[in-house]
Amino acid sequence: MQGSTRRMGIMTDVHRRFLQLLMTHGVLEEWDVQRLQKHCYKVHDRNATVEKLEDFINNINSVLESLYIEIKKGVTEDDGRPIYALVNLATTSISKMASDFAENELDLFRKALELIIDSETGFASSTNILNLVDQLKGKKMRKKEAEHVLQKFVQNKWLIEKEGEFTLHGRAILEMEQYIRETYPDAVKVCTICHSLLIQGQSCETCGIRMHLPCVAKYFQSNSEPRCPHCNDYWPHEIPEVFDPKKEREAGISKSNKRSLRSRQH
Amino acid sequence: MSEQSKDVCDPSFAAEASNSEVHSSPGVPGGPSLPASQAAIFPGPESPPVGPPDAPLASPAPQAPCEEGDPKALQQAAEEGRAHQAPSAAQPGPAPPAPAQLVQKAHELMWYVLVKDQKRMIIWFPDMVKDVIGSYKKWCRSILRRTSLILARVFGLHLRLTSLYTMEFSLVKALEPEELDRVALSNRMPMTGLLLMILSLIYVKGRGARESAVWNVLRILGLRPWKKHSTFGDVRKLITEEFVQQNYLKYQRVPHVEPPEYEFFWGSRASREITKMQIMEFLARVFKKDPQAWPSRYREALEEARALREANPTAHCPRNSVSED
Repeated sequence: MQGSTRRMGIMTDVHRRFLQLLMTHGVLEEWDVQRLQKHCYKVHDRNATVEKLEDFINNINSVLESLYIEIKKGVTEDDGRPIYALVNLATTSISKMASDFAENELDLFRKALELIIDSETGFASSTNILNLVDQLKGKKMRKKEAEHVLQKFVQNKWLIEKEGEFTLHGRAILEMEQYIRETYPDAVKVCTICHSLLIQGQSCETCGIRMHLPCVAKYFQSNSEPRCPHCNDYWPHEIPEVFDPKKEREAGISKSNKRSLRSRQH
Repeated sequence: MSEQSKDVCDPSFAAEASNSEVHSSPGVPGGPSLPASQAAIFPGPESPPVGPPDAPLASPAPQAPCEEGDPKALQQAAEEGRAHQAPSAAQPGPAPPAPAQLVQKAHELMWYVLVKDQKRMIIWFPDMVKDVIGSYKKWCRSILRRTSLILARVFGLHLRLTSLYTMEFSLVKALEPEELDRVALSNRMPMTGLLLMILSLIYVKGRGARESAVWNVLRILGLRPWKKHSTFGDVRKLITEEFVQQNYLKYQRVPHVEPPEYEFFWGSRASREITKMQIMEFLARVFKKDPQAWPSRYREALEEARALREANPTAHCPRNSVSED
């Protein structure tokens, strides 16, 4: 009956504290995760060598596997920062949000999500989302209230807002990718390079394939004549830079710096 | 994940479904007549027992895990032709679900509890039943037990019933007491900074902090009651409603004062989760002074720290008091 005891042997207090803190923070950038890992070693096992982060996380994931949860690594779509979150792999619902928001709020999110997925750019305008307020399930919501709820989503890192338009936060993509792919199988876009869900990105104007901005950056790195990997036509968009964590820290750029290279698709 | 169920085990749900066989009269013996054998619900040595609430509640009130020796449940069960008895006896009745399903429910409950805790929301037993356990209510004990085990082994967290009366659970760290781990991530939690500011103010004053005093302090951070902030949003709502709801603060009217004024106190959750020493360290950091610049408060913090150490030599969760009210 205790099916999950197989690999419990490798869970130490270092791993437990790490999981606790990762859960507390919801989503973390890679640099923070590394500091977190070092902190956990310092508290529980000062003399041990700090394991390489990737192995550390894989070890924990092997234990979590039987619980249908996982520490998932993703990359922010606009500037390629690696992020980590503990996610639930069961796709029965928008699991993490369900306990947070009222029925009409969840439905507002669903409506916004649909608009975002259907859009060309991966952004849905505030106006378009608010116009759907009458169709929401549950208690009636006024537009003013809906604006508030959208801000709540932004604060809780489910949505990002840029100039009055909304797209999915990296965390939402991490947590909901499976749910989104299963719920909107025809509408979802996928990156040609990494094959993951694509919300924001660049597309080839000839053959229509799409790539994430960080995937574009890596693929065309130091390539003076970028060409579409599919149809070989000249790639018409600006190639962003590959994310370099060291350079960023040295420049003292804060986390909230909007240095993104969102490239509109037309 | 809302699964309503009309399982007659639970008088409150049954009452709503207007099941005529249910004894939902308020005069029911809901007294604290819980037999001692019911005490060990959770296998963990530190967990308190779960059972029907002590106070006799009127019928629509939520009830504790169904298969207990609750007299009301027993009567209904007998009437339904199901033999619910003390948990030790194996019973004929509807076939238990496959172990795999119970395991899955335990995993769902684990996630549910983790997320509630992450959002600092109250983990309320009736919600657990409604949102997750649903039609598996009869086996909620074994589901809860498995969930507790997983949480302890994988996360180092104890799922603890903090209040039998309100049926609230909380997730409590089973690892060594440590400073708020936020030092590992240097202030990534703006809400905590705001909260700590207010808690520190109350602590330094030694009594409740008037709302006006709190706003004077927050003004230093550029926060005003009428202005929306990019991170905090509606600050006034945050501190007078959300923090209060989460039991980090108490917001009360000052007696005998006209026009009405309000003041803030530490909430029960703040008292549980935050030590005075942490407040002193926070003050020291913010004002760039030695904590001993507040001598009497520092002494208090030292005493509290000593008391905590003495109370918990094995360094297991220092705060396991039942929440007040």
